[in-house]
This record gives sequence, C-alpha cells and structure tokens, in this order.
Amino acid sequence: MIRATGLNKSFGGVRAVHAVSIDVPENSIFALIGPNGAGKSTLLNLLSGIYQPESGTLEFAGHNLIGLPAHRRVRLGLARTFQKIRLFKQLTLLENVLAGFHIHQDAPFWEHVFRGNTGRFRNEARELLAFVGLEDRAEERAGALPYGKQRMLEIARALATRPRLFMLDEPAAGLNGAEVEFLLKRLEEIQQRGVTLIVVEHNMDLVMNVAQRVFVMDHGEPLFEGSPREVQANPSVIEAYLGGEFAP
Amino acid sequence: MTGRHAAIAVAILAIAAAPWILATPYWRGILVLCAMNVLLALSLNLVMGYTGQLNLGQSAFFAIGAYVSTILIKSHGWNFWLAGLVAVLAAGVLGLALAAFAARLRGHYLAIASLGFAVITYQVLLNWEDVTQGVRGIYGILPPVPGTTGLFYLVAGIAAAVYLLLDNLVRSPVGDTLRAIREDEVSAASLGINRAAWKAFAFGLGAAIAGLAGIFYPGFVGTLVPDAFGIVESFTMMAMVIVGGMGTMIGPVIGAIVLTFLPEVLRGFGELRLLIYGLALTLVVLFMPGGIVQAWTALRARMRR
Repeated sequence: MIRATGLNKSFGGVRAVHAVSIDVPENSIFALIGPNGAGKSTLLNLLSGIYQPESGTLEFAGHNLIGLPAHRRVRLGLARTFQKIRLFKQLTLLENVLAGFHIHQDAPFWEHVFRGNTGRFRNEARELLAFVGLEDRAEERAGALPYGKQRMLEIARALATRPRLFMLDEPAAGLNGAEVEFLLKRLEEIQQRGVTLIVVEHNMDLVMNVAQRVFVMDHGEPLFEGSPREVQANPSVIEAYLGGEFAP
Repeated sequence: MTGRHAAIAVAILAIAAAPWILATPYWRGILVLCAMNVLLALSLNLVMGYTGQLNLGQSAFFAIGAYVSTILIKSHGWNFWLAGLVAVLAAGVLGLALAAFAARLRGHYLAIASLGFAVITYQVLLNWEDVTQGVRGIYGILPPVPGTTGLFYLVAGIAAAVYLLLDNLVRSPVGDTLRAIREDEVSAASLGINRAAWKAFAFGLGAAIAGLAGIFYPGFVGTLVPDAFGIVESFTMMAMVIVGGMGTMIGPVIGAIVLTFLPEVLRGFGELRLLIYGLALTLVVLFMPGGIVQAWTALRARMRR
C-alpha cells in the first residue's frame, strides 16, 4: 500500500530518521513503536508530507509521493491525526468534521455565494460524530471537549476525507481504560471498512491487540519488524526499551 | 430563516431612513463615508477575521480602486461602471498576486509584506506624476449619481449586497475551509486544504471589495490625492474590524459605523478629540477583546440569568 526505501531526514545534524524502509500491506494495521525520540513521529510526518525526506523513495498505491505537498497526498487517500492534538478549537465539533470534507466539495463557486450553506455533508458528518460517540455534542466548541474526546474528534475529522491509508500518532495517549477500549474497537472497525492503518503508539496492550505487523525504531533507525509475538520475544527490542541489563 | 428576513427588512429601513434623520448635507456626507467604511471593514474582516491573516495593507487596494477608475474616466473617457469594473478587477488581481507571492509567509511576515505593498503603492501614487498627478491631485471628479443622498443609497445598497453574499459565503463550505486555515494551518493541510491557494483567494476577494469601496471615493470628495490612502487608513480599517468583533459578519459593520461617527460626535472637544478617540480604542481592545459583538453577547447571557 505504502512503500518507503532508505528514507533519511535530519534536523541540524541530528539524524531523526535514518535509512528507514517500510512496506505496509494493504488493509493491515501496522504499528510503529520505539522509545521516545526514536523518530516515529518524524517518519509519520515524512509519510504524510509535513516534511520532505533528504533522500529515499516513497510510493503510495503506485503514486510517487516525493515532493508532493501534504494537501495533495490527502487527495490520493492519505489521512492522519496528530500526537499533539490539532483541532480547530474555536469551531464546533460539527464544523471540525465538515472542514474534513473539503476535498469532496464539488459545488461550483457561485452556489456558495448565492445559496450559502447547502448542507451536503451534514448527515455524513453527524454519522462520523456518532461513530466516535460524540453525536450529542455536535454544536459544542471543540476546545471545550475533554482531552480523550478531542482525540476521538480528530479521528472523525480525518475520516471525513475518506482515507485509504489512515495514520494515527499516539491515538491512545491520555486516554483512560474505557476510552482505550472504545478506540480499539473503532480502529478495528475502520480496518474492516477496507482502510489501511499505521498507528504510532506507546500503549503496548493496544499495539499487541490490534496490530498485524509491528515496526520497531530506535535512534531514528529500524530495529526490528515482525508480528506482535515476535516483537515481544526479540532481545534487541527489550534492550532498547528497558536497557541492557534486562536483556536475556 | 425568518430571523434573517427580519434583519434584512430592518437594514433596508435603516438605510432608507438614515438620510432623512441626519438631514443636513454635512451629515449625509458622513453617511456616504460610513457606507464606504462598512465595505472596507467587510473586506478586511474576510482576510483577518475569517482566514486569520494579518493584513496591514488594505488601504493600498482602496487606493487602487480609486485611482484606476478615476484615471480611466478622466484620461481615457471611460464610462464610470466599466472603469469601476476594471478597477475592482485590478485591485483583486493585485491582492491575489501579493498573497500568492507571499504564500510561504505566515503571520507577521505576510503582515509585513502587505505593509510594504501599501508603502510602495503610496509612493507610486505620489511620484508617478504623469499618471496620478502626484501631490497636485486630480480635480473635478463627478460622482456616478447626482446628490449626496443618491450616492449614499448607491454605496449603502452595494455594501448591503456585499454583506449578504459574504454572509452566504462564510456559511458555505468555503467558510469552513477559511476558518480551518485560521484555526490551524497544518491541520487544514492534513485535510487536503491548499492553504496557499485559499489564502490568496481570501486576500484577492478582500482586495477586490476594498477596490469596490475605492471607486466611489473620488466622486464623493471631488478630488483625489495620495494622502487619502496613507498607512494610517489601513489601521483605521483594522480598528473597525476589531472594535466591532473580528470573525463575525455584523461586528465589522457595527465597528465601521461607530468609528465613522465617533470622531464627528467628538468634534466639540476640539484638540482633545484624537486623545479621546485613541483612549476609547485602547479600552475596547483591553477590556473587550472580542469587540462590541462579544460584549453584547456576554451582556445578554448575564441578563438572562
């Protein structure tokens, strides 16, 4: 689905991502894990187009992504959420999701000027809010939501673009147990609808439960890739997470 | 929908009655200025209030509307409306070009680019004497309709039409897109929004509306000199938007009305006038950051309790 070879990105001489190659199978849930500073978010920013790599190749469903800005990649079917939540805080929940339908708006300009709101995606936006359990709060300001709900709203907003590949940066961060449980079900449901998912996550329970493949990074470099079971048993992964003395 | 219709009816009545309530030629002139200021505040609010781009150069587009139309009429014998159309398009295209050029700039940098554009425009008006007559000015400019009352009805009618169209626009998906850019540009891009293109769109449309206000100014005053379009005019427009309530449709209209009439009401204070004006502005920004509209909403909420 998305394939990268030899991606490199550094910031002021620090190699944030070095020689990373990934190949994410279609319709899988692909987890990206590693200690803090491992380069997971940088890799996601390279895939989504927030950053451009210094070298390497990047392909999505047969399209070359190198040089393509973030907003153009969305039209190919890439969507994402952010580690540090980036909602439109002053807007309502409904307006947040409606903005997500931007690439599907095809009404001619004069219709916007002379008829105002045509309400084309309102029902679909409400369905997405219901999908993440926020249908009752559609008219509230996004900034007023509790943290966990803000994460779910960001997911609904990204889904409005109708992605084929959905990248989530630490979706469970700051969520309580019940919220993680809910998130897990939702991620599986999104996968069942034919979407491929890349999930950057620290919550090992979540990773081990939903991911089919796990890609481990450390110090900007690939460390290991395999099934959740293989990752749990791998000595170098354990060492990276817990330090040398715990390694078998 | 009935609320909207009632508001439109009230606005039509207010516009119709205004020249008969303020029935002296002097006050009717202030009414024309007020209608122009409403147009200018609406134009700037689209860029600042809805798209979140600081624009310090709106006076330049007002100037381009005024000079392009006047030069086409006086030197080339064009009809007012054709000259006006070309002047509005010229302002819009220049606004679009400026924003496209400054597409990679954000926040303060776009503000400085727009300020620079206004400074350059002013200097061109001042020094390109073969065309603009420089400080000597252009004289004997006629309004498109005879009489101050007629001109007020014309400009106020156009301002009302622009208001309605912009009101539709900001409630349409285009409005969602512009507000998304205002709130968070990176997020907006992650939803497929081409922020550079939409910023240029808002800038260009705002510039065209400021140019539209500009085509009526020379005929109203009768003469055209560069000093009418100094940088301070940009700040006055910004004050109207902020005092009224940025990012709302009615706020800038209220701001434009208040800040047009306030200096006139304060005329009795003589030299103290500007001091009081400045003080009032400072107090509003300090204590009502959301402008008159927000203060009104807060007051109503408190009274209901």
